[in-house]
Amino acid sequence: MNKIEAKNVDVYYGAKQALFDINMDIEANKVTALIGPSGCGKSTFLRCLNRMNDVIDICKVSGVVKINDYDINQKDTDVVRLREKVGMIFQKPNPFPKTIYENISYGPEIHGIAQSKSEMDNIVEESLRKAALWEEVKDRIHEPGTGLSGGQQQRLCIARTISIKPEVILMDEPCSALDPIATAQIEELIDELRKEHTIIIVTHSMSQAARVSQNTGFFHLGKLIEVGSTDKIFKNPTQQQTQDYITGRFG
Amino acid sequence: MNKEERLIKRYKAEKRFQFYGKAAIFMALLFLVVFLTKIFSTGYTAFQKTWLVIPVNYNADLLYLDPDKKPTTEDINDADFYEFGIETFISLDPDASEDQIMELKKMFAFTFERELKYYLLDNPDSFGKTVDVKLTASDDLDQVFKGNYPRDIPENRRRASDYQLKIFDKLDEDGRVISEFNASFFTNADSREAELAGIASSFMGSLFSILVCLSIAFPVALLAAVYLEEFAPKNRFTDFIEVNINNLAAVPSIVFGLLGLGVLLAVFGLPRSTPLVGGITLSLMTLPTIIIAARASLKAVPPSIREAALAMGASKMQTTVHHTMPLALPGTLSGTIIGLAQALGETAPLILIGMVAFVNTIPGTPMDPAASLPVQIYIWAESAERGFVEKVSACIMVLLFFLIFMNLGAQLIRHKFEKKWN
Repeated sequence: MNKIEAKNVDVYYGAKQALFDINMDIEANKVTALIGPSGCGKSTFLRCLNRMNDVIDICKVSGVVKINDYDINQKDTDVVRLREKVGMIFQKPNPFPKTIYENISYGPEIHGIAQSKSEMDNIVEESLRKAALWEEVKDRIHEPGTGLSGGQQQRLCIARTISIKPEVILMDEPCSALDPIATAQIEELIDELRKEHTIIIVTHSMSQAARVSQNTGFFHLGKLIEVGSTDKIFKNPTQQQTQDYITGRFG
Repeated sequence: MNKEERLIKRYKAEKRFQFYGKAAIFMALLFLVVFLTKIFSTGYTAFQKTWLVIPVNYNADLLYLDPDKKPTTEDINDADFYEFGIETFISLDPDASEDQIMELKKMFAFTFERELKYYLLDNPDSFGKTVDVKLTASDDLDQVFKGNYPRDIPENRRRASDYQLKIFDKLDEDGRVISEFNASFFTNADSREAELAGIASSFMGSLFSILVCLSIAFPVALLAAVYLEEFAPKNRFTDFIEVNINNLAAVPSIVFGLLGLGVLLAVFGLPRSTPLVGGITLSLMTLPTIIIAARASLKAVPPSIREAALAMGASKMQTTVHHTMPLALPGTLSGTIIGLAQALGETAPLILIGMVAFVNTIPGTPMDPAASLPVQIYIWAESAERGFVEKVSACIMVLLFFLIFMNLGAQLIRHKFEKKWN
């Protein structure tokens, strides 16, 4: 079953076209990796999926992006409700400069998910447990989230995102600022999270794409060159460009 | 030039550079020390006041009161203390001529009537007795006693005559000249007599003006800055607004005074000389300063925080109110304090809206006429009497303390917020 369907998506930054006619289906409860050289448009495409491109003034998006068969690019789409369903993890861990507890409780609070203090406590604990961070921070959840290590901060951001139970989680190179051990922890977590969420991850590391994803899309110069199961893309790509990129001939 | 020489040259250049920096700091400190020393050495005497303690005979006949009956408050209030005062002064020198009696009178502040009356009201038992009463000395003798006034110049160029000095020295020998803390400097409004003039009116005027200014400028500036920085589309129109705000910050303050005069007083008919009008005028002047500071601090908030909040499904407004604004608050407050400090020291626009008027009442609300501290300095600096010289410096000291207090407050608030957010 397809969770997300993108049809004829074009993106312009001012006069410069960043994405050309992207058509891509994303399966539910799978990890889809988007790979490609720098500046190929994979992050831009990711940001089309929760309309984060709205933030950039000069960015214009056209085409249809359907999530659960609903076109999110309509004028009257409520981006707040969209982003409640489609969470996002960024390249650089960006916890709020507040306590660990407040970082997680923020989402449920603004969306009115928790009815009482104890319910909120439960959500915070559950989210931290799911993000494999609970054991490390349970004694200091009222200390600043910014005091954690880089890997912990990124897991805190993941916990923050899953606190409102999004259906889709977008990850924009979530491990690029982390060391190998923290990266391994996050990758393990991604595999765990896909049971309840559909995950789309942009990554520079082909080995990471191979490790964590079931499907892979390869972008080059703003075009989606090839998409398919990770196995197939890595072992038996149909396009020469994909073959060249995967074997390290460019990129 | 070989490598070794280049290295030596680089070290020397580095040392020179540091020396210039230190010299600059030394210069700045030197100016500050000279300035403060001058202010304090001239001004500290204003916090002391000279009193003459003279024997007063509260004789019933002199007061035209019934000697057999204890006078009521009303009787005392109705009694004539002017003639009584003159008689009392004559007792200092029973042989005084007509002219000398006038000189004796001029040794005391013109409030002697009131002071004599209030003493009796406070001590009704003194009726019919001779008691020592403390009377404010005239500013001329006050200055002589403080050593601010030379005694060795020819009499015709002095304000205190030889005769007055003779009587004064005799009182001094008897220990009847005392110097005490000048509480009236803080509790009195302005006066034409230096020995009675105080800063209560101008202090309250400044305080009210600043409060009015803050309560208008801060919210307006904050909203304008937040809208321009976070919500407004970036186009020619917003560029135009930005240029105008920056220009506004550079407009001479006197222009704002003219605006206050022409619009607030002439068109809206607000009461002249009041802190309300002063505060509104100052807030126009402070507005661009706060807007610029607030925008700069909003710009400094990392975009990643905004993205984090937006990606959590926070609306634009929630993102701004919950995350961006609190993070920008310390910087905004610093800008606000800088703006208010400027406003506090501003003289020109206040003169134009009439806060330069002689106000001898203490304002109870921003709608009452008042002076302000910098204008008070200006008024006193213009006055001829020697006694106002020390008052000017003392008023500057009060203004400086006001500023230090404000900056300290800002520092504390800043510190508190920064601790919370980092």
